[in-house]
Amino acid sequence: MEEDSALFAVEYASKLGAGYVDARVEDHYNELIIVANGKVQRGIINRKRGIGIRTLVNGAWGFQSTTDLTKKGIRQATETAFKVAKASSKHVPKPVKLAPAKAYKTSYKTKVKVDLEDVAFEDKLKQIIAWEKMLHTSKKIVRGLAEYTGIKIHKLFVNNEGAKIRFSNSLTWVSLKADSKKGDMTQFYERTVGHSGGHEIFQKNDMEKLSTEVGHKAETLLKAKAAKTEKDATVILDNDYAALLAHEIVGHPSEADRVLGREAAWAGTTWWAGKIGEKIGSDYFTVYDDPTIPSTLGYYRYDDEGVKAERKVLIKKGVLKGHMHSRETATIFGVKPNAGMRAITFEYIPLIRMSNTFFGEGDWKKEELIRETKHGYLISCMRHPSIDDKRYNWTISAQEAYEIKNGELTTHLRDIALTSTAPKFFKSINAITKRVEIVPLPGCGKGDPMQSLYVGNGGPYIRGVATVLGVK
Amino acid sequence: MASLLTSLRGAGKTVLEIAENKGLDEAEAYLVSNKVLTIRLVNNAVFESKGVHDIGVGLRVIKGNMLGFSSTADLSKQSLKKLVDTAASTAKARKLPFKYSFPKPGKMPRVAGVYSKKLAELPSEKAVELAYDMVDASLAYNKKVVDNAGVLNIVSYETLVLNTNGVSAENRGTFFEASLSATAKSGKKVSEGSEATAGRSLKELKPKEIGEKAAEMAVSGLKSERLKEDTYTLILDYEPAQGVLGYISYLVSPMIARLYFPLFVDKLGKKVASPQITLIDDPLMPNGIGSAPVDDEGTQSKKQIIINEGVLKKFVYDSFYGAIDKKKTTGNAIRTSFAVGVSAFPGKNYNGEPIPFPRNPYFKPGKWKREEIIEDTKRGLLVRRFHYTRLTNPTRGDFTSVLRMGLYAVKNGEITVALKKSRLLDNLLNMLKNVDAVSNKLVVAGSWGDYAHTPVIRTKAHVTSID
Repeated sequence: MEEDSALFAVEYASKLGAGYVDARVEDHYNELIIVANGKVQRGIINRKRGIGIRTLVNGAWGFQSTTDLTKKGIRQATETAFKVAKASSKHVPKPVKLAPAKAYKTSYKTKVKVDLEDVAFEDKLKQIIAWEKMLHTSKKIVRGLAEYTGIKIHKLFVNNEGAKIRFSNSLTWVSLKADSKKGDMTQFYERTVGHSGGHEIFQKNDMEKLSTEVGHKAETLLKAKAAKTEKDATVILDNDYAALLAHEIVGHPSEADRVLGREAAWAGTTWWAGKIGEKIGSDYFTVYDDPTIPSTLGYYRYDDEGVKAERKVLIKKGVLKGHMHSRETATIFGVKPNAGMRAITFEYIPLIRMSNTFFGEGDWKKEELIRETKHGYLISCMRHPSIDDKRYNWTISAQEAYEIKNGELTTHLRDIALTSTAPKFFKSINAITKRVEIVPLPGCGKGDPMQSLYVGNGGPYIRGVATVLGVK
Repeated sequence: MASLLTSLRGAGKTVLEIAENKGLDEAEAYLVSNKVLTIRLVNNAVFESKGVHDIGVGLRVIKGNMLGFSSTADLSKQSLKKLVDTAASTAKARKLPFKYSFPKPGKMPRVAGVYSKKLAELPSEKAVELAYDMVDASLAYNKKVVDNAGVLNIVSYETLVLNTNGVSAENRGTFFEASLSATAKSGKKVSEGSEATAGRSLKELKPKEIGEKAAEMAVSGLKSERLKEDTYTLILDYEPAQGVLGYISYLVSPMIARLYFPLFVDKLGKKVASPQITLIDDPLMPNGIGSAPVDDEGTQSKKQIIINEGVLKKFVYDSFYGAIDKKKTTGNAIRTSFAVGVSAFPGKNYNGEPIPFPRNPYFKPGKWKREEIIEDTKRGLLVRRFHYTRLTNPTRGDFTSVLRMGLYAVKNGEITVALKKSRLLDNLLNMLKNVDAVSNKLVVAGSWGDYAHTPVIRTKAHVTSID
């Protein structure tokens, strides 16, 4: 049925005159539970299925989606996708050309041990209520928040070049947050656990212990010392903080559509446009984007253009090597497409997105890194980013930090952020550890209308130089 | 059109019947047909034209003191049966510690100017031309304008709320969102400008004006100076004023306040802003960008004052949060899905339970003309755009925004020079308390799917240079 629908759309659009056409028939299952201070705020299950048809007519893109999967519904949607592309083509001075891509016929699944739908919703709700309760480690915790998401997607991709790819994906994550208060002082601490896979992740991890840790951390921060501003300090970033840095100042500016100025309206552009091959950081600075890593939130084997995924080298030993591409941008840059296109559902046209963007490994051990730092700061766990539109100037706050004196962790610090420019920080990286960790980042926004997508980000521990800010 | 609502009504009645037959105490179906056409402009060309037509139903059920929700886009009878079972399954562990019932029927008010047949039925070819007109106007404004990017969204929706208490409320509307970012170049100097607006009818869409305003801002920034870090008197033009208004809307939602932004939680009846600030929510405003006769659970709309001369008078409620706080619904249910991986297009969405939220909020206009506010400012900044605005500490109110473009120095009542990219770092409560002037005209402004009627406001904030 779904195959018939997709093939009909592709054949019909070709018959109408589309030079290229692809169709995605998708079936989505999505569950969300939110518990705050012992009360269930949300407990919902969404189901949605439909088709998205993308056409290229005289070098212009058109797209239409519909939840009406009758032949009439698909016919209408296909006609609209063709018609809008044709209308747009009058204002496309440089017709879109797609880089060649092999037409794969394949089927693959995310490895799942415990299917999300095999665990009763009621049981999941009870679990989340229990974990939220564990956040309240003392009366100083004034607010607990536990948010659970579970997603299952069955997707069929076909195009008029003969590709036919089926993908069954499953993703789940939980975010835990505790707010603490003493007098006028308020603090908070949060962690997210998630993967591509089934409910087994919550059996593997001791979630109650983690909840208690989050509560304790929020309490401990009440006793921590306010950070003071220090210019050009030595900073060691942990995996979690490095993840947000990789996301914001390497991942986003590596999207080729952004490099080309196509996201200028809202998201912004990229300071390193035209700098491929240039040295922009130290030899310790390497970044990859890799969707092929199982269990990560950014996992996939073929993107939403049917291109086979591979590890993309974005930066190697400080040299800007390449970007994330669609078939269209690959033509413009004269490179091979590297499977960067994704859409959150069949209702959206795919965009160039991060998958798992992370800093490459080094050969230091974490302990050595700290031990060999005379004066500096260990910056732990991401909080909020504030980045300019070119991804040049960045300020990112952390959940906590420790001052390092003579190779030892000393004062526990709160209300801290780092600020620098991208090239200044990249050039300052002088040591990195061996162990890379990729953490879940659900909710990366891009596009208009906005598509909120789940990705993985991470890295090893990284030592460099940045200005420490005390955040009032 | 009528046939679509008829088929939605048929599906809704079927759902309620199935729910009653299965022994559920109450049921509520929210049925939606939402159409969006998006024309994206990139590099002075049409980049893509894309549409979505989403039809589906969100179902809430009550059994005893249990509440459940599920949604589907498949309106076949088999799927609707599954929908009822799934909603009932989500209710199983969600025991409410209070009595809850869906809203009762009421008299439906009328709201003028929220539906435009011409906009709803605008041919896609015409939409492409209108979108491109923005680029044309920007390029024609000044030869220094070299690049434009933007978007035109055209939305038309029909919704129907049916519940077992007898609510049967139809609603339909149209709106557009149009924005353009222009880049100007002169030698090595590069500057950006943008304009964004929204409206309910085709006659409000003025692509030439949008293109020219974006171009004017871009060109005006070609000669710019570096800002000196300081606390400034800040004139927040329409778009940044809407940015502030947008955050206040979060703060007065009891749900968002509980979950994410608790800044106003213990401030009911207390001063949260200067006496110049009165925040009104009026979904009955003719032609209002958020106006509708009913909210998204079928409760009739009403005008209300949320902040009166700086004092927080109330939070806004849907029926559920009303029941939690032992208050009546204020007719402020909106449906939005904030689940990741679920579609969230402009217009109406059936994938989420209602949340309480201001529907057509605005700061009450003051006595000042916009020009008078500038003339009255001895030393300050005129801020025409916010970018990447965040409430970085939602408990304390730390607030930041990148002043990416459209930033000017004001000296002795005159705009003297454009300033380079800077960053605002202050506290939202302090900024609200420092408001000392509000302009007398409301304009629809916003960005990235978030638009509202807003005046210009003047306040104080700390600003640093980042370029």
